Amino acid sequence: MGKIVYAAAMSHVLAPDYYGKNVGPHGRKMVEELIDVVRDMGRTMLAARPDALVVIADDHLNVFSFDAVPAMCVRIGRFVERMVQADAIEFDRALDGLPERYPLHEDLANRILERGIEEGFDFAASWSAPLDHAFLSPVSTLCGARPAPPLVPFWVNCFVAPLPMARRCFAAGRHIARVVADGPWDVAVIATGGLSHFPELSLARVGTSDAAFDRRIVRLLEAGDHEALCALTTKELHESGSHELLNWMVLIGAVSPAAAKVRFFGEMGRIDLAAMEWSVR
Amino acid sequence: MSRYDVNVILYKLKKDAAFRTRFQVSPRAVLAGADLSDEEVEAFVRWDTRRLNELGGSLHLLVSIPHLGGH
Repeated sequence: MGKIVYAAAMSHVLAPDYYGKNVGPHGRKMVEELIDVVRDMGRTMLAARPDALVVIADDHLNVFSFDAVPAMCVRIGRFVERMVQADAIEFDRALDGLPERYPLHEDLANRILERGIEEGFDFAASWSAPLDHAFLSPVSTLCGARPAPPLVPFWVNCFVAPLPMARRCFAAGRHIARVVADGPWDVAVIATGGLSHFPELSLARVGTSDAAFDRRIVRLLEAGDHEALCALTTKELHESGSHELLNWMVLIGAVSPAAAKVRFFGEMGRIDLAAMEWSVR
Repeated sequence: MSRYDVNVILYKLKKDAAFRTRFQVSPRAVLAGADLSDEEVEAFVRWDTRRLNELGGSLHLLVSIPHLGGH
């Protein structure tokens, strides 16, 4: 019988130069502190010796276009490439130098996809989507120079309306937990992104976050109040700029009823940064 | 479906370097065949990113177009 041996969530732009340039010295210092925490979390994750690492993150219109944006998508196949894009945005340029190809856990990905379809989750499947900073910035920080476990990338549409509901993301996480429990593998699961930034996806509001909203989210996570989190509306997430909490909702579903332990929370002004772990063993 | 077309143009500007160069040289000519309102065309021609965002342009595209985007 398989089990989730490690579960965590963290912000996914782990790039000191980006925050140094766009926020200033306090932004650089804050993300450097977060990176230290995530590195420590990585030691714990790898000590659990997972057979696979499910990474739940969102696309920033790097992979999917307005031609088709899946609500949720499982990356299948044997390998996945790092996104390489000429003139990439700063925090994707931070991926330069990382391995260009990563192994996938093909069997676990296929089970999540195929059993999902059987049980009413109409996940999309991709054989070719590469990974951007939302996946590889956390994975590379967690693993450092050590090889990453075989990955199962799982995309959630956090930005192109209409978004999946928080409760549906939670249900997808419950599904992943069932697949893991019925399989033979020890699995680590992480969700990335957030917390609040880009309220209302308004260019005029870039540089602001909704710290009060995020403090409430952190309290709910620590209390394990998953029903309150499932009840969050798309309107609330949009207004607060906490769109990427949808990634976290999948993870929360996978570990429910476990409560989160806050490893890092910082209010930068432009964004609220966080890292959390769930006790699942 | 102008919102779709605004974002298709933005996506091409992000991903297609040759298209981006043509746009920078002669934006009105590049947009001639697109299904855009006059207001949308003018926002593109002025490269008024806030107006494009208000007209439905994706924030994540607007901030990530090489040489035109950025925070």
